[in-house]
Amino acid sequence: MIEVANLQKSFGKHAVLKGVSLSVEPGEVVCLIGPSGSGKSTILRCLNGLESYDGGEVRISGRLVDQASRDIHDIRASLGMVFQRFNLFSHRTVMQNIIEGPVYVKRETVDQARARAAELLDKVGLKGKEDAYPAELSGGQQQRVAIARALAMQPDAMLFDEPTSALDPELVGDVLHVMRDLAEEGMTMVVVTHEMGFAREVSDRVCFLYDGRILEEGPSKQVLGHPENPRTQDFLRRVLHPDAQEDA
Amino acid sequence: MNEAMLHVREFLPLLLEGALITVQVTILSFLLSSAIGLFVALLRVSHIAALRAVAKTYINVIRGLPIIVQLFYIYFVLPDFNIELSAFQSGVIGLGIAYSAYQAENFRAGIEAVDSGQREAAQAIGMRMPLMMRRVILPQAFKIALPPYGNILVMMLKDSSLVSTITVAELTRQGQLIATSTFQNTTVYTMVAIMYLVLSLPLVWVLNRIEAHLKTRKAHD
Repeated sequence: MIEVANLQKSFGKHAVLKGVSLSVEPGEVVCLIGPSGSGKSTILRCLNGLESYDGGEVRISGRLVDQASRDIHDIRASLGMVFQRFNLFSHRTVMQNIIEGPVYVKRETVDQARARAAELLDKVGLKGKEDAYPAELSGGQQQRVAIARALAMQPDAMLFDEPTSALDPELVGDVLHVMRDLAEEGMTMVVVTHEMGFAREVSDRVCFLYDGRILEEGPSKQVLGHPENPRTQDFLRRVLHPDAQEDA
Repeated sequence: MNEAMLHVREFLPLLLEGALITVQVTILSFLLSSAIGLFVALLRVSHIAALRAVAKTYINVIRGLPIIVQLFYIYFVLPDFNIELSAFQSGVIGLGIAYSAYQAENFRAGIEAVDSGQREAAQAIGMRMPLMMRRVILPQAFKIALPPYGNILVMMLKDSSLVSTITVAELTRQGQLIATSTFQNTTVYTMVAIMYLVLSLPLVWVLNRIEAHLKTRKAHD
């Protein structure tokens, strides 16, 4: 359902993506890992056209992702996105955040949207927070509202851009728990993450990115347990044992 | 002293009439400048370069001209092109256009100060530009632009005195007329000054309250 072929992207003279190909099947959970600056988030942002690209192509359910095309808004509405910094609409309550898309983009009735929003809030463990404003919630709660907001659009796939990176460590678990439930329900997911435990247990496939290329790709247990590429080995050693001394 | 009180009583009705015109000119030109300003601000942040250039040129030209010259142009020059406006209409339109450039820059600053994550979140749920502006960006931009917006209103109240130069019988003009015919300069202009303060100080007070309220809310976030 997601097809990326030879994707290239530069910011000025700096090439961020140097030909990335990736395909994600319905129901699959794919994690993108790699050092910062390797281009993981840029790939994700190219999937729904938040970022333009210079070469190659991205297709979602067969439709070409192109910022200038007419159906870019429909494609975006079919993909839920969760941001590192939550990006909840700060002037609207939790309930208003969740029904905003269904009511104003998909033209559902308010009653219908509210009913589904209530179910989703229950699902992410935030029943009773309907009337709170984002600023009144913890980061973990905000991120779970953001997930509910994305799910309210009934997307075909969910994109997660480092969803736990901005959270205090004790709040990470609740968010990962919600994501795990989603994966078990069969949601198609692309997740940029530094949570190796999540990647190992939940994802079907892991892609290791380095300097704008996918250096290693495969079943999560294989890539994370027995990485073949020396750069993957080095990266995993640093992430899993940050206190260990660096070898030269 | 008694004589001065008599003068005050004598001048007051005329000056109050002028003050009423001042309020009318201020409110109407404020509304006009807000409407034009918002429109120009939206052009200014458009993703189409030509529209941005048009907006920028408009802002620079308007800001580069003295307000009095703009008023004179509308009142004295437009009739040569068969556009005849009353002094009052010319005053409202002239002030409205002159201030629209400042309004535009203020709205633009507000729009640009909204966190880019808000825009991305709106795009990510499939919002098109107009919907995103209406539902996500502008409500937050207005909150940011509100304190300077209030200051513009106070400045326009004072600058409405400029329309006296094109014969609009507002407060300053009325004062001038009375002063030249009675020579009671001290009494007249003191009254005029007090009446401007009576209009502007409450406005300033309300604005300060709003600003303080926004600040505490921000601190609360």
